[in-house]
Amino acid sequence: MEVKLMRNILDSNDEIAAFNRETFAACGVVVMNLMGSPGSGKTTLLEKTLARLVDKIKIAVIEGDLFTAKDAERIERLGVDVIQINTAGGCHLDAAMIQKACTSLDLDVISLLIVENVGNLVCPAEFDIGENFKAVVLSITEGDDKPLKYPLIFKESEVVLLNKVDLLPFTNFNLQSAREDLTTLHPTIKIFETSCTKGTGLDDWAAWLLGKAAH
Amino acid sequence: MHEVTLAENILSIALETAEKNHAAKVFKVGLTLGELAGVEVEALTLAFDVLKEDTPAKDAELVIKRVPISATCNKCGKTFQLERYNFFCPNCDGVLILQSGRELLVDFVDCD
Repeated sequence: MEVKLMRNILDSNDEIAAFNRETFAACGVVVMNLMGSPGSGKTTLLEKTLARLVDKIKIAVIEGDLFTAKDAERIERLGVDVIQINTAGGCHLDAAMIQKACTSLDLDVISLLIVENVGNLVCPAEFDIGENFKAVVLSITEGDDKPLKYPLIFKESEVVLLNKVDLLPFTNFNLQSAREDLTTLHPTIKIFETSCTKGTGLDDWAAWLLGKAAH
Repeated sequence: MHEVTLAENILSIALETAEKNHAAKVFKVGLTLGELAGVEVEALTLAFDVLKEDTPAKDAELVIKRVPISATCNKCGKTFQLERYNFFCPNCDGVLILQSGRELLVDFVDCD
């Protein structure tokens, strides 16, 4: 017999994500899911962002990593509460991992929770963790063809950070065509150009994020 | 790589459906996958074939239907099928809102 279902393959994840989202809303926490390739500069960008925001709002970080606590240790040095999730080879964070990590956080006192996902341009885009919005970091050295090669992550993200712009003179990355591809794929996407070594664009980005957290 | 997670979920939905319907064997599992969903069908099938061993779905095959990306203009209301991920309306100055292409569904389970 053929049993008709029309059931979402990820519905078990999506149910937990919906629960997380309700919990975050009830506690007044804004959650950003920060994604991007390995080496795109997510953690450095996070350090620079936190340095600009820790005096203004209460922030906590969840660090997703395959095996190590290296990133979490870097965040901890800034005096920010950080929870490490090791996925033991898993290529993305899911809603249940976030739910479990949040039991170690006092959500009532936190305004902004930043989840740094596992470095990967494919899988994290598919898994709702209950965030308010997704952000993706694309570094100049990865190439300007990535938005159309990995459309889902750029379609799902509210904001993209074109990072390491100080390296533009040394690569064939075409900023204009990257911006065009991003905008045709996602007409309302917000684009920041940043460099953590030169400090480019970081104040604007931090101010935008602060605005989101205050909302 | 998340195809393994997807395959695990598909298998558990199929086995749960078989059990509910007092079926001893699963023959086919029908899936609808959108073109924008990040799924590598070969990797998904491989993962499913490994996971289904020693279960009532050990002979089950995946029947996969892909759904093209379609989007509707927020101004003129026309619907278009997209090929190049261009979400600007070709007909007016509106923006296209995604209608289909993100599907990750188990359509049916054929079991007895």
